[in-house]
Amino acid sequence: MEIRSRFSRYLLPLFVTLIYLMVYAPILVLILFSFNKNPLSYEWHGFTFHWYRDLFKSVEVFDALKNSIIISFSSVFLTISMGLLYVFYGATTLLNRYIVFFYGSLIMPEIVLAVILLSLFSFFSVPLGITTIIVGHTLIGLGYVVPMIRARYEEIDYRLIEASLDLGATQNQTFFKIVIPLLYPAIISSALLVFIVSFDDFLISFFCSGAATLTLPMYIFSVIRSGATPEVNALSTILLVVSSLVIFILTFLKSEDSGILR
Amino acid sequence: MKNSRLKKEFIKERQFFLASPAILWQILFLYIPLLFLIGISFFRSFEYFSIKHVTLDNYKVLLTLSYAKIIGRSFLLAFFNAIFCFILSYPVAYFLALRVRRFKHILLFFLALPFWTNFIVQVYAWFFILDYHGLLNSFFLKMGIISQPLHILNTPIAIYIVMLFCYLPFMVMPIYTSLSKLDTFTLEASFDLGATPWQTFSNITFPLSLSGVQTGFFLVFIPSFGEFVIPTLLGGGKLMFIGSMISYFFLETRSVFLGAAFTCLSGLFLIASALFILWLFKKLFR
Repeated sequence: MEIRSRFSRYLLPLFVTLIYLMVYAPILVLILFSFNKNPLSYEWHGFTFHWYRDLFKSVEVFDALKNSIIISFSSVFLTISMGLLYVFYGATTLLNRYIVFFYGSLIMPEIVLAVILLSLFSFFSVPLGITTIIVGHTLIGLGYVVPMIRARYEEIDYRLIEASLDLGATQNQTFFKIVIPLLYPAIISSALLVFIVSFDDFLISFFCSGAATLTLPMYIFSVIRSGATPEVNALSTILLVVSSLVIFILTFLKSEDSGILR
Repeated sequence: MKNSRLKKEFIKERQFFLASPAILWQILFLYIPLLFLIGISFFRSFEYFSIKHVTLDNYKVLLTLSYAKIIGRSFLLAFFNAIFCFILSYPVAYFLALRVRRFKHILLFFLALPFWTNFIVQVYAWFFILDYHGLLNSFFLKMGIISQPLHILNTPIAIYIVMLFCYLPFMVMPIYTSLSKLDTFTLEASFDLGATPWQTFSNITFPLSLSGVQTGFFLVFIPSFGEFVIPTLLGGGKLMFIGSMISYFFLETRSVFLGAAFTCLSGLFLIASALFILWLFKKLFR
């Protein structure tokens, strides 16, 4: 029994299709044109891999990729380890109440985060570079990781932890042998999420990097501002594919996970 | 009880120290710097950095028409972006929540996917559509709607279009959530009692989805207010918004103190306008 009218039968699906088209048209065109022979024209001139080959020869891109990878892996490592420690060891202490602290970075506009970090670093004359970017990314990362891991930790059967402690395991043993394996799905998905957030982040990297450090999004930004090159189309396509793949894995894991555990 | 004994065992100082890095990180790099930024907005420079030299000079400098215009322009951008997002998102969320049976999650996933991909790339992709020789112009030319290509890139229209589509998922998701919680029996009841589809929608469906609309509105409004990338890349640098002004203060002229004051001022304006809109929501719909 549903209320149906001509509007909901024809116009609504048409409208939704149009919206999806508008959301995807730019991205698909970008991917298509990264294979275009003539890079400067918006007409199709034939298929080529040339720009991808050029990309792999570029030293700048390679440097930016290296920086991006160092930054996102370090941020993932820092957020996951600190997040896990907080969730497990903080669960029974007063700190448990301060989970609100982790939402601040999610509520504020990102540019404010970037600016406050920059003014702090410049006041204490901390040299800007990879380290300062990692600090910023870890800050946002914790905002995602702590609530995610905590939600899963609360679903754990507490008797398992009690049993482990009761049977003589120390707290550290319980942490490594019981809690971490049980939290594994949440750890993997929050790690992937932080990786994506850090790898794709532009604003914090832009503000907290010195003149010398470039990440991949920053490289793309600077090239677009000074007039796009065909290599950027290729690079953008690669980034799109990487992020989409990670998100696919993430969604797949989540649906698998919730199927088994609920 | 065994439980309480264990709990006592749990509470040790060591745990406190092991749990604290995450919290300390947030305090050290978010809350202290935030207070710090507010603090330095009352000083002129590092040479005059003592309590004697607290001054409102930075704010006095900023109280001119040109800065007010920048804040006003950002407000309008954020406000209308949220409104446009709402207009386009509501039918999509409605369709996904109440009309689609199969592939619902897949459709939702594909709507959110671009949001998780690189933001710069997403914005850059719009150049292909909006350029003078781009897809939109060639499409319109072929259809015979226009006789000459339109200049869209580097105008406010480009900023509005791209903002709209980049922030769309933020609006669709909460509306979708509140609509899918809707009890379909209420809709059937309304139908059985003789309401027209429009009456059902305006009296039942829409009022029940308002909490989602409100969440979506703020999820779009707040980040749009400080948006930096889209106006910088697509606006051609002609129009200043809050984001571009902040980056100008901090990265180009290196006037940290003035920049801090400007950031605080815009922050205050953001909070005030968000509260006002919240009040408006309550006034209009309750």
